[in-house]
Amino acid sequence: MHLDLNSCFATIEQQANPLWRNKPLAVAAYTSPNGCIIAPSVEAKKWGVKVGMRVKDGKLICPGLIVTGPDPSKYRMVHQKLRKLLEEYTYKLTPKSIDEFVLDIEGLPTQKLGIGETAKEIKTRIKTEIGEWLTVSVGIAPNRFLAKVAAGLKKPDGLEIIDKNNFEAVYEKLALTDLWGVKLGNVSRLNRCGIYTVADFYRADAKLLQTAFHSVCGYYWYLRLRGFEADEEEWGRKSYGNSYALPKLLATPAELAPILSKLVEKMSFRMRRAGYRARGVHVGVLYRDWSHWHHGEVAPEPVWDSRDIYRQALGILTRSPYRKPVHTLSVSGFGLIKNLYSQLSLLTDGNKKEKWMEAVDSINEKWGNFVLTPARMLGMADYVPDRVAFGGIKELEEMILN
Amino acid sequence: MIQKLSAPVSVTAVFDHKTRAFVPKKVLWEGREHTIIKVGLHHTFRQGQTLYHVFSVASDAMFFRLVLDTESLLFRLEEIADGEPS
Repeated sequence: MHLDLNSCFATIEQQANPLWRNKPLAVAAYTSPNGCIIAPSVEAKKWGVKVGMRVKDGKLICPGLIVTGPDPSKYRMVHQKLRKLLEEYTYKLTPKSIDEFVLDIEGLPTQKLGIGETAKEIKTRIKTEIGEWLTVSVGIAPNRFLAKVAAGLKKPDGLEIIDKNNFEAVYEKLALTDLWGVKLGNVSRLNRCGIYTVADFYRADAKLLQTAFHSVCGYYWYLRLRGFEADEEEWGRKSYGNSYALPKLLATPAELAPILSKLVEKMSFRMRRAGYRARGVHVGVLYRDWSHWHHGEVAPEPVWDSRDIYRQALGILTRSPYRKPVHTLSVSGFGLIKNLYSQLSLLTDGNKKEKWMEAVDSINEKWGNFVLTPARMLGMADYVPDRVAFGGIKELEEMILN
Repeated sequence: MIQKLSAPVSVTAVFDHKTRAFVPKKVLWEGREHTIIKVGLHHTFRQGQTLYHVFSVASDAMFFRLVLDTESLLFRLEEIADGEPS
């Protein structure tokens, strides 16, 4: 079963503010005219407002559009309540993002009720126990991929099933790009092999699909479209990172250094709290002309201290050959290793550094983030605000574990 | 109109031990009393070790974001909105 909270951020804001219900509403990263819309409400979508649109463009096509900024603590709370509710039905629950969950109730007592009835019960309980304005689209199918496709068939407030009796009829109605994981790049790969529709995709044999994708991915697609599970593997965390879309034109490492410092502080704090060190540091830069540069380096020894990570990250950034306005700056620590023991160094007093960072972290935890900061971060209070990451919910795992 | 602010307010609330619900009923702000007809959402967040409770509530014409600081036990009004675009 795949469960998807409809227009998540916008619906939660309408739940919180009853005066916004039944009105076109958009949650934008910034509410200024060039701010990016990240979640239009169901009503706003009917006007044509889409994710990724600028606020000024959204208001142009929908003059009555109400625009508000994000409130991550609200969305995290709703996610946690939803998770707690769904855990009553199965322990085989996988949150896929802040607003999507996958449930497997096979072999569990819940299955006696019937999966369709279970889904209806969940929808009702969400309205009575979490928020009466919240709606979810539910998809039921033999595997995760088709369950997600089913959930997308009717929005909002859908409950759709794909099974052996109707899958071909469903495939006839869908375009290739309606399938999650298939965009223009994969469409052209498939077209080159004579596959133009989802029905063609299903009828193609495994060998042709492996040719189309040049890899075992073709075989996984063969399995998915036939209802076999190909997506159960859960990959552990490989890095900790933070990124920030800059609100003003900055280009040189000197101008970017304070923001880089804050990104490093945020990232390294999360990494240390989870008990990890990183073998290397990676810096990524997306420029305003949409070109991209990135570079990662393995550190001489595993890093966890913000100062060491910052030093390495700044060194990497300085070596970028470009000095043009930056759109998004990101930094991450990769090659994670657990803090099981520290390798003593002859050159530095590692124990003293560890105690220093522990003290700083515990003060920041007690009094609030960034009570203690490096001097280079002065003036950065309004930069790199708290946001919900797109895609995975590993940040929520961090919150729950802590 | 959406307006961010940080104003001290008086709140009349009811706690029901059977439902374990804490429900704001009235808000007194700038000398005017507003009767709350709907509590949209209640959530919490932390800043350091201080826990804040946020009550998103509405009267018939106005939305209020009420924030309770559990250290000081003070309510502040942090946002108002009238339900119309800015």
